Amino acid sequence: MRSSLVRQVLILLALALAPGVGEAVYFRHRISWQSAVLPSELVTVDQARTWGGNVIWVDARPDEEFASDHVPGALSLNEDRWNELLPQFLAVWSPGTKVVVYCSSLSCNTSREVARRLRREAQLPDVFVLEGGWEAWLKKNR
Amino acid sequence: MNQTPNSETIREQGAQRPMLNVEVSAHGTTSNIKHRASNIFWRILGLIIAGIFIYAGAIKALDPVHFASDIDNYKILPWPICVALAFYLPWLEIFCGFALVVRSLYRGALSILTALILVFTLATVAAKVRGLDITCGCFGHASQNWSFPAHLATNLAILAALLALSFQSAARRQIAN
Repeated sequence: MRSSLVRQVLILLALALAPGVGEAVYFRHRISWQSAVLPSELVTVDQARTWGGNVIWVDARPDEEFASDHVPGALSLNEDRWNELLPQFLAVWSPGTKVVVYCSSLSCNTSREVARRLRREAQLPDVFVLEGGWEAWLKKNR
Repeated sequence: MNQTPNSETIREQGAQRPMLNVEVSAHGTTSNIKHRASNIFWRILGLIIAGIFIYAGAIKALDPVHFASDIDNYKILPWPICVALAFYLPWLEIFCGFALVVRSLYRGALSILTALILVFTLATVAAKVRGLDITCGCFGHASQNWSFPAHLATNLAILAALLALSFQSAARRQIAN
């Protein structure tokens, strides 16, 4: 009786595998297995530079790190002081402006979170995450 | 027409017998009706649960990217596993839902769905305890604005229904054996 239950469970688990794999192949260009940020929402330092003055840089790192150094002209907007900093950011933002959010490095999540909240809570379009974060920017500007 | 006491007794008995039969048959009919009503109830409950999981699975299978993000919001699993689950879990829900509809692999489907809803509920509670503001993702965009109590109540109601169906299925098998 127990073996029949295990067999049923295994059959169902196996059945779901085929369409799951098929869907993973179908959506391979719309999702990244490495990073939670969609490829279309990522931007490199070089790409962001081509946008010229039409960009607001947003520093999602903690206050101390922002105070220590940041991208010239960047605004601080981190989750610790979100309610305080968001109005300051929105006062500077204007429609048509692209927003590039960065945090420390490739492995940090805060830029993704801030970008997600800007899209969801502030309903802003054109919000991007800087690939490689502050480290990538430093490499290109040393 | 002379009738002997014997023949009267026989007639009385004869008259009573059909009455007894009617009573037995009435009792049997009532029992049958109850049995059928109970069967219909369990069948409808099974179909409702199947429908819920097929709907939830289909909505998530249509937008696995969004579902991966919803799983990631719980901050329990690394991103590649969130992606794998986002592709796999919706189909598992759909197949288990269909298994409940056609009553094939029925116990297996009930066990998987019970395990899934238990995990979802524990993850939801864990996220709440850790102070995470999450969207449940259970029914795609439809459940985006659900409050924590609504989310928890839905999960617990589904869990209760699944457990009831499992017990009913076990009891039925015991009777059949």
